[in-house]
Amino acid sequence: MNRYPRWPIHLALIMASFVMLVPFYWVAKTSVSGENIYAYPPSIIPTRVQPFFYVDVWYAIPFARYFLNSLAVSVIAVIANVIFNAMAGYALTHGFRGKNVVLMLFLSCMMVPFQATIIPAYLITGKLGLLDSWLGLALPQCSTIICIFIFKASFDAVPRSLIDAARIDGLPEWRIIWHIMMPLSTAAIATNVILAFIWSWNNFLWPLIMTRSADMQTLPLGLARFLSYQEDTTGALYAFCIMVLAPGLLLFLLAQKEFIRGLTSGATKG
Amino acid sequence: MLKHRTRQTLLLWCFLAPSLAIFLLYRVMPVVWNFVLSFQYWSPLKPAEFAGFDHYEDLWYDDVFWQALWNTLLVIASAPIGIALALGLALLVNAEIRCRDVYRTIIFLSYPLMTVAVAIIWRWMFDERVGLINYVARSLHLVDKPIPFLNSFTWALPSVIAANIWQMLGFYMIILLTGLQSIPHELHEAAAIDGASSWRRLRSITLPLLRPSIFLAFVVGMLNSITSFDLVYVMTGGGPGRATEILVTYIYKLGFVQTKFDEAAAVTIVFFVLLIVTAWAANRLAGGNAGAAEIE
Repeated sequence: MNRYPRWPIHLALIMASFVMLVPFYWVAKTSVSGENIYAYPPSIIPTRVQPFFYVDVWYAIPFARYFLNSLAVSVIAVIANVIFNAMAGYALTHGFRGKNVVLMLFLSCMMVPFQATIIPAYLITGKLGLLDSWLGLALPQCSTIICIFIFKASFDAVPRSLIDAARIDGLPEWRIIWHIMMPLSTAAIATNVILAFIWSWNNFLWPLIMTRSADMQTLPLGLARFLSYQEDTTGALYAFCIMVLAPGLLLFLLAQKEFIRGLTSGATKG
Repeated sequence: MLKHRTRQTLLLWCFLAPSLAIFLLYRVMPVVWNFVLSFQYWSPLKPAEFAGFDHYEDLWYDDVFWQALWNTLLVIASAPIGIALALGLALLVNAEIRCRDVYRTIIFLSYPLMTVAVAIIWRWMFDERVGLINYVARSLHLVDKPIPFLNSFTWALPSVIAANIWQMLGFYMIILLTGLQSIPHELHEAAAIDGASSWRRLRSITLPLLRPSIFLAFVVGMLNSITSFDLVYVMTGGGPGRATEILVTYIYKLGFVQTKFDEAAAVTIVFFVLLIVTAWAANRLAGGNAGAAEIE
């Protein structure tokens, strides 16, 4: 049954890959050449390659400040996600009074997209006095239901006997999590880190609503603002795009397996 | 000294507390507050007053709201296009060919990218004067004059939808691929021995068994596309006119541009109802077990 010719499959997939990659190429090309912003017909291969637009970005906007904000918010979100989700995931591996209520709550929360909460979320954050701060930017993303279940599944796979032995030795619960569960769940931790990082790094709507000062803007916000006063007439915009895309892309290529596992376990398990 | 069991329960609740607090604060409370707010006259500086159904009545006569609702429905209706394309790709990369991991990575690559940057890239691709798409169309003599995709009432929404499909395609593909790989090989082998053609096997084995995955992809994709605020906001800002206004961008504009929080809350409630109805309908079509229904 394996006799069918392979080349039509390759042909179709190469075409698909081409469609997926061309936009990247086009932007990367414009960011190093700046040509065909005015010129028609556009040239396919860049003729004058130079890094000036990247330097432009550095001077035109406080790139370092935006980068710092994005990084700080993502780091807070990642650390909080790993700790909070692991704790919650561990609790869910046990049977206890009220567990069904918690599960129901989690499942119904998954049906509430963030976009449907923006107005109260803004008012609540205002009441907490966290508007325009790193903590306020990170807070709504500090725990994720999918990731809690990823931890739960991973903890469920740890042999009961190991945990019982630790209990008999008198280890308190938090040390069981820290010294036994976590070292055995590195894959779940990696998935948590990467999902939390990418979601927080790419987040646009929340910073758009709740940051006031120029000092608190994150990279996506900076990019959108840059567009609005440059009106795509400069290669610097596309250089900025590449600079913003690079970290996420790099992280994804390094940890592709964990990322996809996280999404599909989220997808198949809800 | 508490009993051991009670102490254990208490401890577990403490472990759950931070996550629960975040979800109560940013999921449960907003839903309740939105609901309350939609029945009030309220602005940040005024005390609340009961409004009854006034805001909903305003929406009934609000053309922009209907336009946004219609556009949102069109976006939902476009999800199957992406899923059909992704199904084809999933079948192709599931074949036993060389380099399939490379293809998979390339096709998935657009999904984890920052949507704001994706929107800027596609603005550039769709550009009237120097965009690549117009260039290709003109070179192939498909059009005489360049099409101003994002400034045209006809083309703006399809263009945004196309960009959305481009970004989501890899994600749909991965979900479908997971479903494909869970179909036991023996079924295909047995059918092949019985002389079933590969088209027949696709129709009678693969597609029926893939049904839950397809509908799951639809639910997730629907959620993702009707909440694609970033893409619309950066690519068109809802324009030209209101041609690409969707409910989420309208909520944002009402709330944070015009500071009509109460009216925005009413739109949010409509949006929320739409979301639940669509997810419920998709779930029914899938035979009741797609999506979030089966965790334990």
